[in-house]
Amino acid sequence: MSITYLEAIREAQAKALADDPRVFIYGQDVGAFGGAFKATKNLAKEFPGRVLDAPISEDAMVGAAVGAAIEGMRPIIEMQFADFSTPGLNQIINQAASLFWRTQVPCPITIRLPSGGTSGGGPFHSQSMEAIYAHYPGLIVMTPATAEDAYSMLLEAVAIDDPVIFCEHKLLYYHCKAERLPTEAMPVGKARIARAGRDLTIVAYSAMVQDSLAAAEELAGEGSEIEVVDLRSIKPLDTDTVVASVARTGRLLCVGEAWPWGGVTAEVIARVATEGFGLLDAPPQRLNSKDTPIPYHPNLWTVHRPTVRSIGAAARNLLRM
Amino acid sequence: MPQIPIIMPQLGEAIAEASVISFLIKVGDQVAAGQDVMEVETNKATMNVASPCPGKVDRLLAKLNESYPVGAVLGYLEVTDEDARRLGLDQHGSGQADPAGHVPGNGGESVDEERKRGVHPTVRGLPVPAHAAGASYMSPRMKARMAELGLHAADLAGVAGSGAAGRVTIQDFEKFLAQLEQSKLTTASSMRVAVADAMRRSWTRPLATVALPCNFEAILAHRKTSAVKGGPALYALRALALALAENSAPAGRLIGNKIVHPPAIDVGFAVEAEEGVLVPVLRRADTRPLGQLVGRYNELVELARQRKLPADATGGSIATVTNFGTFGLTWATPIPLPEQTLVLGLGAGKKVPFWDEKKQQFVPVTEANLTLSFDHRVLDGGAAGRLLTRVVALLQTPDKL
Repeated sequence: MSITYLEAIREAQAKALADDPRVFIYGQDVGAFGGAFKATKNLAKEFPGRVLDAPISEDAMVGAAVGAAIEGMRPIIEMQFADFSTPGLNQIINQAASLFWRTQVPCPITIRLPSGGTSGGGPFHSQSMEAIYAHYPGLIVMTPATAEDAYSMLLEAVAIDDPVIFCEHKLLYYHCKAERLPTEAMPVGKARIARAGRDLTIVAYSAMVQDSLAAAEELAGEGSEIEVVDLRSIKPLDTDTVVASVARTGRLLCVGEAWPWGGVTAEVIARVATEGFGLLDAPPQRLNSKDTPIPYHPNLWTVHRPTVRSIGAAARNLLRM
Repeated sequence: MPQIPIIMPQLGEAIAEASVISFLIKVGDQVAAGQDVMEVETNKATMNVASPCPGKVDRLLAKLNESYPVGAVLGYLEVTDEDARRLGLDQHGSGQADPAGHVPGNGGESVDEERKRGVHPTVRGLPVPAHAAGASYMSPRMKARMAELGLHAADLAGVAGSGAAGRVTIQDFEKFLAQLEQSKLTTASSMRVAVADAMRRSWTRPLATVALPCNFEAILAHRKTSAVKGGPALYALRALALALAENSAPAGRLIGNKIVHPPAIDVGFAVEAEEGVLVPVLRRADTRPLGQLVGRYNELVELARQRKLPADATGGSIATVTNFGTFGLTWATPIPLPEQTLVLGLGAGKKVPFWDEKKQQFVPVTEANLTLSFDHRVLDGGAAGRLLTRVVALLQTPDKL
């Protein structure tokens, strides 16, 4: 038996609903329809009155969730696409993120963002929004790369008292699988060594972990041992694990599907340069999407975002430096 | 088949352009990755441009003796799809954000146009300087590791680098260290390490040496008849002190654009002690005649050999005398101390035929070479030669020393 990343997200929500009566799900078409990607399939039937369809207003959705959280509930918000979370941005960054700092009242809401590109997704259905949310103090931003993490981190997201932006990658929904659901998990804020190596460190998160692992496999055939660090959550960011890995390898390549400007890859490199300058044997490199809107055409899209091939090429170049 | 540009590399931090002075390949040649394809010259040095990947030389756009900015396309290689893909060279700006934020072209022409217009700060794939061979460029990690081990760049002179442009990577360095472990290792004395440190620092300067044979007959006669029992080095020291008292400029130091003049004619002399060299100092050697210097001189030699030199007898000297003749050597190019500009060397004396004008015949005389090594930034061969000539002249009249 195996379970997909998408099924793991559904199962985590089912368990959260079953375990805690304060949990409810709120989002567009999450009820009878089961959600745009079927992440809430049958949950409305199994948990009557607790999986609620929302109007087409992300602003209202998050606002209602913050209000419910103040009253002691633990809502899960589903955005249809990460791209559509911007109409709710004011509620997320100005209300949810700062609520506890302003009032000592916690805001235990979870906002699920179906993130990242798929072929033909185009500019409005492919974006990776994690860097915007990570910029704001008070938010936790999770970016699971495996079905196991999708399951256990979503449960943790619901359980903790802080507002959580849960970035789930659409490419992983169907292709990424686990043998079984995990019974234990690493704590949030702890990165994982997804592959051990000694020649070069690739730091990645979300779907790019899978592409980086594939590139590392290719390079292993050429005699280079690449270490792949899966950040798991980009906020908190596990600098210790990253710096320890660079201490072993001396070379850092940071890969992110989001745009380069002021993003997660920039933050990781800034931290390594600040805290681990003396560990670097070559200039740290990064690989991101091109700094343009995301193209529709599948051929353009594969050139736009990092791929196994371009990650491999960047790693080969860095190994020569 | 894809065409990959050969690009003028970043040759150094302050270098914006370079002239092509020779082609090492011709159109149609097959080249290997990293093979030198042309020689270029900057105002500082001659360097090579290397091929970015294996391929066949398709076109050479650069012309001999023309100057091109860093990042300019000098020619094109025809490479296999496989090689282009492996290195990510089939996409412009692959792996890196375009610094100017341009939409990358796929044919390369628009990017080439862009390159012609201005100098780009970095060149794809090789962000280390092209003259990084060996340990002349060290990564932050190398610097940190060497500091940890107390090593200096000079210690890596024998390590061949495998990194970009031949630089020594941390892996090369660790391999080198592992190889050292295979050899017999003993700990160098603190004296040896101190001398090594001083010599390494001194060697950062352009040093040169001039020499002149000196007739020692007068000195030998003077030693026989006078009460002064100083060695030839003391005579040379006193002569140097007098010459510098007449004109101290050659003993100045150059710091930036300032000449720092010597405050007093304090002259040191080298004494071999255990595994190194100590340099005791005779203060104001220009103000005291030989007869008054000799007692203190002999005392300091003895104290140096016992390594018991008092603090006021070391440091602060403006030049040093070294008698390499005591090892039987007739010629040497000693290195001045790092804080000094001059070192006067004294070779071993030997009998040579000398043409005596009065007697109209060759007579045997004792002669020794005097050498003067100097920091060529401060003075030139002429000034050094005049100083040395003056010292030799003074040594011909030891009564006046």
